[in-house]
Amino acid sequence: MAVATAAVESVKARAFRPKILVFSTNNISDPGIDLAGSSHMHYPPEAMTIALPCTSGIDPEWIVHAFERGIDGVFIASDGEECAYLTDCAERSARIFDTAQAALRERGIAPERLKMAAICSVCAESFVKYMREFDEELAPLGPVGQE
Amino acid sequence: MDYDVLVVGSGIGGMESALKLGDMGYKVLVVEKEASVGGKMILLSKVFPTLDCASCISTPKMAATIHHPNITVMTYAEVERIRRDGDGHFEATIRQNPRFVDEAACTGCQLCELACTVAVPDQFNADMVSRRAAYIPFPQAVPKKAVIDRPGTSPCTFDCPAGIKAHGYVSLARSGEYEKAFNLVLESTPLVGSLGRACFAPCEDGCSRGSLEGPLPIRLIKRFVADTHYQSGVPLGVEAAEPRGQRVAVVGSGPAGITAAWQLALLGYGVKVFEAAPVAGGALGLTIPSYRLPGEVVAQDLGNVEAIGVEIEVGHRVDDLESLHDEGFEAVLVATGTPRSASLGVPGEELAGVMPSLQFLQASKLGQAAELAGKRVVVVGGGNVAIDAARSARRLGATAVDEVCLEARAEMPAFDWEVDEALEEGVTLHDGWGIAAVLGTHGVEGIDLKRCTAVFDEARRFSPTYDETVRQTLACDVVIVAIGMGPDTAAFSPTLDRRGNGALVVDPQTLQSRVPHIFACGDVVDGATMITTAVGQGRRAAYMIDRYLQGQPFAADQYELRVPRVDPVDVLRRQKSHSHKDPLGSGKALVAEPSDFHEIEAPLSEAQVHYSAGRCLDCGVCSECQECVAACPADAIHLDMQPQQVVASVASVVVSTGFKLFPADLKPQYGFGRFKNVITGMQMDRLLAPTRPFNTVLRPGDGRVPDRIAYVMCTGSRDQTVGNPLCSRICCMYSIKQNQLIMGALPLADVTVFTIDVRTAGKGYDEFYVQAAAMGTNFIKGRIAEIRELENGNLVLRYEDIEHQGALREAEFDLVVLAVGVQPNLDTKGLFGDGSLQHDAYYYVEEIDEDMNPGQTSIPGVYVAGAASGAKDIPESILHAGAAVAQAAAHVEAVRVGA
Repeated sequence: MAVATAAVESVKARAFRPKILVFSTNNISDPGIDLAGSSHMHYPPEAMTIALPCTSGIDPEWIVHAFERGIDGVFIASDGEECAYLTDCAERSARIFDTAQAALRERGIAPERLKMAAICSVCAESFVKYMREFDEELAPLGPVGQE
Repeated sequence: MDYDVLVVGSGIGGMESALKLGDMGYKVLVVEKEASVGGKMILLSKVFPTLDCASCISTPKMAATIHHPNITVMTYAEVERIRRDGDGHFEATIRQNPRFVDEAACTGCQLCELACTVAVPDQFNADMVSRRAAYIPFPQAVPKKAVIDRPGTSPCTFDCPAGIKAHGYVSLARSGEYEKAFNLVLESTPLVGSLGRACFAPCEDGCSRGSLEGPLPIRLIKRFVADTHYQSGVPLGVEAAEPRGQRVAVVGSGPAGITAAWQLALLGYGVKVFEAAPVAGGALGLTIPSYRLPGEVVAQDLGNVEAIGVEIEVGHRVDDLESLHDEGFEAVLVATGTPRSASLGVPGEELAGVMPSLQFLQASKLGQAAELAGKRVVVVGGGNVAIDAARSARRLGATAVDEVCLEARAEMPAFDWEVDEALEEGVTLHDGWGIAAVLGTHGVEGIDLKRCTAVFDEARRFSPTYDETVRQTLACDVVIVAIGMGPDTAAFSPTLDRRGNGALVVDPQTLQSRVPHIFACGDVVDGATMITTAVGQGRRAAYMIDRYLQGQPFAADQYELRVPRVDPVDVLRRQKSHSHKDPLGSGKALVAEPSDFHEIEAPLSEAQVHYSAGRCLDCGVCSECQECVAACPADAIHLDMQPQQVVASVASVVVSTGFKLFPADLKPQYGFGRFKNVITGMQMDRLLAPTRPFNTVLRPGDGRVPDRIAYVMCTGSRDQTVGNPLCSRICCMYSIKQNQLIMGALPLADVTVFTIDVRTAGKGYDEFYVQAAAMGTNFIKGRIAEIRELENGNLVLRYEDIEHQGALREAEFDLVVLAVGVQPNLDTKGLFGDGSLQHDAYYYVEEIDEDMNPGQTSIPGVYVAGAASGAKDIPESILHAGAAVAQAAAHVEAVRVGA
């Protein structure tokens, strides 16, 4: 817990605290993210979550739109290979991810501001780890649009 | 509804069956009795021997089951019966239990959980923590929709003739929400303060806590919330609906009339109440003595009614009901009660000094009664009114008050506690006496009594007989006659039909009289009852009048549909033990010579309310406090939902109802349920699961981290003393799994496992066992004879150490885990009502050709999958499901081609 507190303190000490938008999935990754909160685990409070049925339904334009609206990082908490709807969900999501990164490059937004990982229904700890790492990675990039 | 296959139960076996069949292209209906699919597997920490995360691998299966295009899932539903029809199909009757939540509207936001005022043991956390009555089963639930847990209506609420949600206001008071509690009572009646004092409290008679230490003081809790509201000066928290432009006249301002007026005004009707007496309130305002119900309280209650626009005109007697209609009242409610006192019919009754009880009580309540100082008073009657009269006479200074009644003490219609209180206040009771005559020349001088030998005849009809030879004379100056009350309805004839005793004749359901726009309710219809009963009738009348004025059918059978009364036995069984909480003593200050009409009952303090409401057992689980309804942003909660019956036609059935865990309290020598630090294997799995309730392994008794943990294997398995000789197959492995997880979670803990032997047949299973032993688990061969609890909550296990010459030993532990075994789920017995689904000697669904055709049952077309046919671990259940669905698919094809 001391480590966690130290991490939180280091984030607090920073002037720039990146706003992170997380896309989760209703049945798989969202319960896992929810569990992080209900287990009182600490992760950057600037992260906010929108739950969807399936990550393969994300329109790359949404991601671009998020950055245009001042979001500093987008994290797709995918189902990995465990999607309830589509057997090729992971491939589709990967294509969406690539398309979105290309669109970001075109607009001069650092593609590493978009990240994707599989989060299971109880993967609270790994979600928290991803959020902390992502937060640390985004910090040196500064606010979106000011690269 | 037509499907190819019905799958009963959605544990891992059921989900696997449904998914395989769905993938093959068959239309599948899954029926699950819980509010989420997933069965037991989703609740586990990890699976053996791979130590994969159980929730990570079952959540995708759960979601896939729900979202599969070929699978329809009914959760919170039960198969009532399955019948074979002629053409090779099965007809399944399914009961969809009401969730009381609109699934389409619910977003799973959990605001209802936060608002809910009731906490009960959480069955999805093996009862170790509590959950709310409004709840989402567990975080990974699919569908993630709330459900309101209502196994029945709480007895207190169900037994209230006024329809007041007693459990609701108790649970709100427990939460400190006194104003909300007050408003909840207002939903039924404005007479909150009056009922908080003068109600006969049938809620308390029904209170399940009554079978433990004594009921809750439910009535006094209501009084507290009323007093708190009136003292706070907070304006009334409810408002009338938009005016409808229709007017209703209510004749009589007693509990029935006032309640009806309130309800109608809330609906937006213009209501005027006519009261013949100079003071409103009927029995509340006129005859219930101030020491029980102060006039100010009645006035405060009536103020509620006036605050929403009801006009009350006192001193206005209505004799001509038809003229009200002409004045523009589109409906009239007659609620004039029973204002006439019955007379004795004996010589001397006309003497000065004889007075009817109601007249006496009214004068006394209004402060107009003659002083009785120095007078000797005889009160005739054995009912509650007689008691009120006698105790009032004491307060007016009578030197002696004698109460004479026909009945023997035990038969008196007055409440026993009221008689006791009268006696304590110095009233002398002469029970078993009738009145022969009132004696005197110019005024009353005495009363002549004759022995009453029987009050009722053999048919329990009132028909007193006397022994005229046994006489007694009491000297007295005043006789108060309280032998019954009757309606005063002569003026309403011939407009309305009347019974011989003057009671009005109305339809008992709709309360409508012969004249369609005239309704009647309360004591003028029913004869003298209780004020609370009258309140209930007033509510009913208002509902019916509204239906009438809206031109809708009465549909009286739909009025106030309730979930059936919960069985108190089930309530007490819900928890293994209840802490002892004594009821409060009576707060009544009784003196032998009362001299004034001060209220005798003390109010509860806030601390007493908190303590008393905390004794509530939440019998019906949901208290109907309406907090969730108010909190739901999607208006998804509908507490009036009813069960639905669905009939489905299917070609094949897969029974995958799984198993039950052995109830560990059936081995009393292990102390489960008595010793807090003795838990079951399922409870340990919950303590280790990613969604664990305490976020670490703690022992329940005191929340300490346990250092020494013991496992008792074969609890309820391989044990003829509990009727189960079978090995449960999973306990050794899940215990070994838990041993390894414990050593991960609590590196310093010592784990000892007491076994008969360790059974680890299966690929990688024995290696898993060896690995646990290598990590430090200590396996001891020896059965536990007894577990003792020490004062610090530690436990001493007594056992025979087989590998050391069978020495008897004892060892102390911080936490004991009982590795409970598998039992059949007896729900399968009722699936086919005709008993054609055969069960084996151990009550599992029988596989008639277990060796060659696993999954085949005694009924062609019906297959069993998973642990419903016997103990199985997860991979075995999945394999078994595959075997069952292959046969089910073949059967569906055979039915399709007509073979």
